[in-house]
Amino acid sequence: MKVLIVGGGKAVYFLCRTFLAKGHEVTVINRSRDECVEMSRRLKVTVIHGDGSDPSILEEAGARGADVALALTPKDQDNLVVCQLAAREYGVPQTVALVSDPDNEDIFRKLGVGTFSTTRTLASLIEQRTALDEITNLIPAAEGRVNLTEMALRPNWPVVGKALRDLALPADSLIAVVLRGDQVLVPRGDTTLQAHDRIVLVTLPENHGPVLRFITGETT
Amino acid sequence: MEAKPVLIVDDEKNIRLTLSRALEALALETATAVNGEEALSRIREKDFGLVLLDLKMPGMDGMEVLRRLREARPDIKVIIITAHGTIESAVEAMKLGAVDFMQKPFAPKEIRELVRKVLSRDALVAEKAGDYGSHVELAKRAIANRQFDAAQEHVRQAIAADATKPEAFNLLGVLLEMAGNRLEAQKNYRAALALAPGYKPAEENLGRTVGGKGGGFRLGKSEHPPEDEA
Amino acid sequence: MARDLFIVIVGCGRLGSHLANRLSRAGHSVVAVDSDESAFGSLSPEYSGFRVEGDATELAVLKQAKADKADLVIVATRDDNVNLMVAQVAKAAFAVPRVVARVFDPKREAVYRHLGVETVCPTAVAAESFLQIASDAASKEGSS
Repeated sequence: MKVLIVGGGKAVYFLCRTFLAKGHEVTVINRSRDECVEMSRRLKVTVIHGDGSDPSILEEAGARGADVALALTPKDQDNLVVCQLAAREYGVPQTVALVSDPDNEDIFRKLGVGTFSTTRTLASLIEQRTALDEITNLIPAAEGRVNLTEMALRPNWPVVGKALRDLALPADSLIAVVLRGDQVLVPRGDTTLQAHDRIVLVTLPENHGPVLRFITGETT
Repeated sequence: MEAKPVLIVDDEKNIRLTLSRALEALALETATAVNGEEALSRIREKDFGLVLLDLKMPGMDGMEVLRRLREARPDIKVIIITAHGTIESAVEAMKLGAVDFMQKPFAPKEIRELVRKVLSRDALVAEKAGDYGSHVELAKRAIANRQFDAAQEHVRQAIAADATKPEAFNLLGVLLEMAGNRLEAQKNYRAALALAPGYKPAEENLGRTVGGKGGGFRLGKSEHPPEDEA
Repeated sequence: MARDLFIVIVGCGRLGSHLANRLSRAGHSVVAVDSDESAFGSLSPEYSGFRVEGDATELAVLKQAKADKADLVIVATRDDNVNLMVAQVAKAAFAVPRVVARVFDPKREAVYRHLGVETVCPTAVAAESFLQIASDAASKEGSS
């Protein structure tokens, strides 16, 4: 794959290294001359010094032949323009914009630009406070629109000893899998949760906190 | 729109201008004041129906102006204008008696809608006042459904429609008793009896509160079937 | 101008403040938005509109400026990308009936014009004026 990245910093550096290791071809557009020089010395990537939201720079960087364009600058507006130009003007099939302001995620998607946001994920991680030790994974799936969480049920939690049908989980959440010892159960209404069961929980970012509180009995 | 003139109180010229222009479209007469003192003297000179008051002003602060306005003329409605993000002060002002609030910035059509809404609430109350029987029935229904605020409103309107009948005073007594104010409740039961000696429900309610005779609240027979609630 | 509009002007620099002053004087209700409070110093003393201090690339700031009630949004910051983004957000998130953005870069302007974003390109406009003058000068030369 031909990957075009606009941006800089350590994250971009390691991303480039990862793509190269997978055998992809990488071009980086960066506004800082020093960073460009540094990167071209350390990695086998094509480096273009300039503004990635400038059509002539994108042209120079071979956007026309790129399979993916990643806009990873600190500014949402620059990332939006990079992706829109790449897609509309240079026909890049897949574009992803880094989004810092979570409010912008939905709009960017409405405008046809794929997004990646660390803000929402981090924010919901922090909300869980006490539950953090029980949570062993937090994976946003479906472009961050759904959370998958794996957690071990403590004996004193209110959901322990209840059958799923009697649980009254908050809306838009689901216990998808129950791991008991080495058994994997796809639960049904009569499945009763036991202490130390590990459950895989599906939630939306918006209700993640409340659903966790419902399960753990935290009343904060 | 038939209404008394509106007084606009704001230290900022642009707000005074924006508000006067916006209300012009409603064919409302407007006057302006640049601070609290001027506002208070204006309401003494002229009969205003509505005041648009900015909470944040130098000199006498908006809350103080509101307090004094309500004291001097509790019949004048007040809409407060607040800066963005100051919901707490808006709530405080509502507690002090403002009828609504508008956050800056606002589009002219927003303030027009709000003023129209506030002024027509008045008209609505006046319209409904004719229907004593309906209000009494709606009040009883509301009490039965434990909707005490609605009940109070209906009782108030019933009394406004006809202050010579006992039913509404009896219901007012019941509401007061439910709120724990036995003294005031008894006053209202007595008022009902004064208007209609021998009015059973009030008699029984009074008896209960005085002598601990037991029995529940007496709301009175349903004589007038209620019309559809608006 | 026939009726009063509710206009949000994003960017209160030389162009933005000039537009805000003129449109306010013409009787429209104006909200000027800028991330730098000192920019509002360019507004005339007669300016009768509102001021909102904040970064317009944040949805919350556009909400505060009541963009959802705007008849017209003019985006005139110094940054083309900000202007292009805010213009699209105003349409996509707030359904503003008419939105126009200043875009200095003619190449970017061309792409976005095709995307349906209404733009004014000072570079192109100035170029037209200058070319007209050059053309006039050339024809005078020819006839002398």
